[in-house]
Parts: sequence; C-alpha cells; structure tokens
Amino acid sequence: MAANPATEATLDLSWLDLYDDATSAEPGKKGLTLKEINLGRYADSARGAGDMTYRMRGAIPRPGAQRFGPNYQSKADVWAENCLMLYEEATQRQWSSARDIPWDTLEPLPDELERAMCQLATMLTEVEFIAGDVPGQWMPFVSAQDFEAGLFLMTQIMDEARHTDVFRKRALANGGGLLAQGAGLGLRTLIEARDFTEMSVLMHVQAEGFVQSMFRMGELIGQTEADKRIFRMSAQDESRHLAFGVMHLKYVLDTEPERREEIHHYLDKAEGDAAGGGSGDVTFPPVFEALCILLGGGVDKFDEGLQKFLLLRKRQINEYVHRLTVAGLGDRRQRLGPLMAQFLDPA
Amino acid sequence: MSTGEALARAAQATQVEIPQEARDKARELGWEDGLIELALAKGHSLQVIWQALRAGVDGDRAKEFLQAGQAAIPRDLSWMNVPTEWGIRARPKDPAMGLTIADLMIGTYGDVPDVWTNRSEIARGSFPNPIVEDMGYTIFEKALVWADCCIPLYEEAIRDRWVSATDLNWNSLEPLPHDIERAVCQFLTEQSERAYFTGALWSGWLPEISYGFLELKLFLSTIIYDLARHSEAFRKRALANGGGLGLQAPTDFSRVAKEARSFPELAAILFVQDSMLYTLFSHGDEFAQNELERDLYRFVARDRKRMLDYHIERMKHMLFKLPDRRDEQNLYFNKAESRMGKEWLDPAVSEPLAILLGRGVDHIDEGRRKLRDLRKLQVDNYLADLQKATFVRKHINGRLEQAAQA
Ligand SMILES: [Fe+2]
Ligand SMILES: [Fe+2]
Repeated sequence: MAANPATEATLDLSWLDLYDDATSAEPGKKGLTLKEINLGRYADSARGAGDMTYRMRGAIPRPGAQRFGPNYQSKADVWAENCLMLYEEATQRQWSSARDIPWDTLEPLPDELERAMCQLATMLTEVEFIAGDVPGQWMPFVSAQDFEAGLFLMTQIMDEARHTDVFRKRALANGGGLLAQGAGLGLRTLIEARDFTEMSVLMHVQAEGFVQSMFRMGELIGQTEADKRIFRMSAQDESRHLAFGVMHLKYVLDTEPERREEIHHYLDKAEGDAAGGGSGDVTFPPVFEALCILLGGGVDKFDEGLQKFLLLRKRQINEYVHRLTVAGLGDRRQRLGPLMAQFLDPA
Repeated sequence: MSTGEALARAAQATQVEIPQEARDKARELGWEDGLIELALAKGHSLQVIWQALRAGVDGDRAKEFLQAGQAAIPRDLSWMNVPTEWGIRARPKDPAMGLTIADLMIGTYGDVPDVWTNRSEIARGSFPNPIVEDMGYTIFEKALVWADCCIPLYEEAIRDRWVSATDLNWNSLEPLPHDIERAVCQFLTEQSERAYFTGALWSGWLPEISYGFLELKLFLSTIIYDLARHSEAFRKRALANGGGLGLQAPTDFSRVAKEARSFPELAAILFVQDSMLYTLFSHGDEFAQNELERDLYRFVARDRKRMLDYHIERMKHMLFKLPDRRDEQNLYFNKAESRMGKEWLDPAVSEPLAILLGRGVDHIDEGRRKLRDLRKLQVDNYLADLQKATFVRKHINGRLEQAAQA
C-alpha cells in the first residue's frame, strides 16, 4: 500500500500484515452461525495450546500479554461438540416471561391448588437462582480457546434468570404469594463442585435432568394454560442445558476414559450422601406434598397424586440413567443409590 | 397395579438396600429397630417410607400407621399457612411490556432491604427455614450493588434482544480495500476479546451476590448475555469478509478489572470502560464501512446504553448512601484511566480506528484528527457521566489525557 510520506515515520502498522490468508465465511440456511465461522485455522479442531489470557482462538498472541490466573488448558475440560449449535439455538429461542406467557388466562384456583402451585414456584425460583450462579462461577475458567462453550454458558445464565423470574411471577400473579423456602434441595453440591466436569454432570445432567423430567409432566402439574406454558417454555431451555451436559460428559469419556471412575465418584456422593433425591430434590416435604396435591387435583385426592408423584420419580430416574447411557456411562445403572435404584426399569 | 404397589413388590422381590441415611433418620425419630423392614414387608415402598422419615414421623406414630395398615405419610401441609404475604395479584402496568418484574414490586415482595441477612439461597419474600447451610454469598449490602433502574432495564434488555446470525445482513458484505478490511478485523479482534472477557468477569461475580438483590442479578444476567453476543458478532464480522483475526487485545485494562477486590471497585473500573465504549459505538456510523457494521454498532450501542445507565445510577446511589467512600473512588478511576490511556497509545488499538475514520491508510492524517476528536468526546462524555452520578473528577489521569491528544 502507498503510505503517506508525511506520516510514515510515526506509523507502526505492524499489526496489519500478521497473517496472509483471507477468511470469508458464508452464511448458511440459519444465517451466519458459529458453525459457518468454525473454519480453517479458526476452527475448534485447530485449537492450539491455550494460555492464561483471554486471547480468542485464532487471534495472534501478543508478546507481553499478562496472565489472568489459571483457566482450563485442555479442551476436554469444558468442551461439548454441540455447544456451537446450542448457542445459536439459544439466541433464536429466547423468550420473554413478560409477554410470552398468557398471564391473562390465569383464573382463581381453589385455595389449596393455588397454595400448592405457589409452593412449587417458591421452590423452583430458588433452584433456578442457583442454576445461574453455578455456570457463572465457572465462566472465568473457560479459556477463550474454547469460547463457544463459554458463550453457551452465558446463554444458560440468561435462561436461568428468566426461569428465576417466571416462577416468581407465577407465585405473585394469581392471588397467592411465595411460601416456604426449600431446604435440603441438594443445591449446595452444585456450588461445591471443584471441577467443571463435576459441576456439569451434577448440574446439567442430574439436577437439570430431574427438573426437566418434572417440566415435561407440566401438563399434569399445571392447573392453568399459563402454568402449562411456563413449564413448556422452560423445558425447551432445559433441554439445551441437558444436551450440553450429556455431550460434555461424552466428550470427556471419549477423550479421557481414565476419568470414568472419578466421575462415578462424584455421582456416588450425589446419589448417596445427600437425601438420595439428587440435586433439585423433590422429596423435600413441602414440595412433595405440593406435587401430590397438584398431580392429584386436590388435597382429597392426595393418594392419587402420590401415585403420580411416584411415576414422576420413576420417570426422573429412568431418564437420568438413559442420559448417562447416551453419554457413555451406562454402567451407572449398576451403581445407583438405593433411593434411585428402586425406580429403575430393567435394562 | 398402582406404581406404589409395583414399587413395593419390586422391593420385596429384590432384597431392598436400605440407605444409611434412612436408618440414621429413623433412629433420630425413635423408630424401633426393624420397623423399616416391617414397613417394607407390609408392602410400603422405600420411597413412601423415605417421605415419612423426611416428614418427621416419630416412632410411635409410624407404628400406629403400620398397625392400621396405612401408608405412614401424614399430611403435614403446614407450608400452606406460613406467614408470608398472601393474596398478591400482580398485573401488567404497561400492557405492551407484559407482566414485568417491576409489576412484582408490590407489598413486602417489593422491599429490597438495605442489608440482607439471610445467607442461604432463599427467595426474597418466602418463609425462611431456620436451619440451612450458608451458601457462601459475600454481598449483603444494597448500597454497594443496587440501582433501581435494573428493574426496568432487565425487561428492556429482553425486549431489545437481537441475533447476530439473522438480524445482520451478512449477504450485503462486499470486499473492502486490504488496509481497511484489516483495520476492521483488528478492531473487532480486540473488541471480541474484551466482550468475552468482561462477560466472564461479570459471570464470576454472580455467586457473590445474595438473593436480597435478585433483580440486580437478573439484570446482570442480561449484561452477560449481551456481551456473549457482542463477542461472537464481532468475531463473525472479522471472519466474513476476506480478513481474519489479528493481534489479541492489550491486557492492561482487563487485568485491572480482574484485579478488583470488591464489587464497588469492579463497577468503578468498568464504569470507565463502559462509558468510553458506549460513546465509541454510538458513533459507530463514523467508522463503519458498510450497512452491516452500522447495524452491528447500533445494536451494540443500544445494549451498552443499559450497562452505562446501571453504572451511573449505582454510583450515584452508593455515593449518596456511603458518602465517606467518595474519595476512594478516585483511586479506582485513576488506575482504570491510566491503563486505558496506555492502551489508547497502542498502535494496534489506535491505528485501525484512525484508518477506519479516515477511510484508508492514505488518509491517516485525517483519520488521526477524527480519532482525536472522538477520544476527546469519549473523555468529555465520561466526565459528564460521572457528573450524572454526582461525582466530580477534578483531574483525569495524565496518561489518559495525553493519549486522548496523541
Ligand atoms: Fe432452569
Ligand atoms: Fe437449566
């Protein structure tokens, strides 16, 4: 290029020709997604060694860049093969708890049903609050070499904010209020995790899996159109969080099979040491009773509700084992804690 | 056969392992030895027995229930009558916005306490369980984090969301001269990294903030999500038009933000960056080379305005509540300005912008003049933003002053 002679001396321009290839990603059917820009030396498959800075994958290292403290250096520590797709899906499927729930269809419910729904919403707004903190805690450790995993976690933080707010809205929208705080919901184990994979298997696969199985029974639990829609919309988000967890676990087991026993160890603890209900435990008495009332359709139909509650637990446990099997941890079936094993269908 | 019966039969068929937790709990409640086994033998499932134990059924009642052939789960239902505020029917104030979190700020549910004392993850306004573990939050003081505007801004962020993959017209991109394309790419390599880093940084602070300030955490979640999108949108642009990623961003400013020891320090430092970047992107038309970039910078500026609004109001609120912490803020601003000044002098930061503003290396002098004007405006706006926050910064850091004039 022709530099201006008057300013040539003060121009550096050393940054201008640091590379000589030209990259022109083309938009695909869904626009220009992360998949389309995952190419050449910028692709996750071309990931080089990480460093402890926030240099994005493919950017040229700056001599003198300061470190920012430890982050994960190996891809398997945080990666899931579906995270590019899940990120884009999350951006396309954001919804609004303010406008996408038909709040005007709420109708006064019999007092005991409203109270049961409010108790469930109280527990869920609590659980969802932690579900945002937990990925937040790990974000600083996700290297920008694997930034798509980080981007996905940032969408999860947004999703969980929406879940926290939608259940609070539900509790306060139909003549009720918040009720008893949950306790012993198994949430501390999520924040106690000292490793990303430990966190992911406990939160994404176990806790969010259990929550998802419950949301999928939302047609039975919800008493109004608005309630059912809340469960449906939230389930849509949870399926992404779960999918990330399952595929992360699979990636770890595929690439670092030596971690299998370690992962079992985390699950032994989570299934055995705690109340046995796992994280997001629905056996906490007020939640258990509220679910029996909602599923049965009233206090006087508690026993019917109890049968459906047992079905819910059965569904939670079997779907949990199925997800672990998909991830490559099918042998978990033989090691399940007794409170879970009682529900397990034969293989 | 009901699920309960099926489970009970399964329990009988296979020797059921009784969890130690259940045995401990039974002992605590005075259940006689063998009572769990008896219940199982009578056809009760382990789950039902477990629920009875969790419900706190004592040994005598358990025995009574079993003798009467009932499932030993009493209907406790005491949660139905806990003394929380009841009878709330939140309604949308503005039907166009729908049912917002602002609409939930009614009665005691709208009380955001000056000091929040509960150390668990209890939802604000629900009835506390007296015995819960400490969840490890560290921020309990409203004055440090709060701004009322986070309540409306949360819903506005959701209303104004955009999607880089489909809301930008990627097919409209046309080849640019080599120096200009490289300048766009270098600028966006830097900004992509800054956005990713700042999103990760805010994320790491979420677990510190207690549930008393729920609405603030919800709002911060939208900031984090915005920054994720900025990071990937900038990267997409850099990889879409014959360029690539350039040199990584300088680390001075980000490091000083990472070094913050408290939330107020973090927010003061990011105030500097977020004010400067808002001015920069709101003048994006001046350095955008095409429609796509103009749209992109406009979206980014709109998101960044919300961040800035939060910073201004939080600072103002904190200085009002904690006037003795006013002078301390100068220390954070000074550090942040100094690092920013250093980065503004970095050729990989200043030259791409000068090239873009001047429309080519050949017009670098004009570009530099325009950059000087823009830098001056960034500093002036920053000082004005501080003033809106009731903070008068008498002297900005000398390094930043020099860099603005370079
Ligand atoms: Fe959730
Ligand atoms: Fe989730």
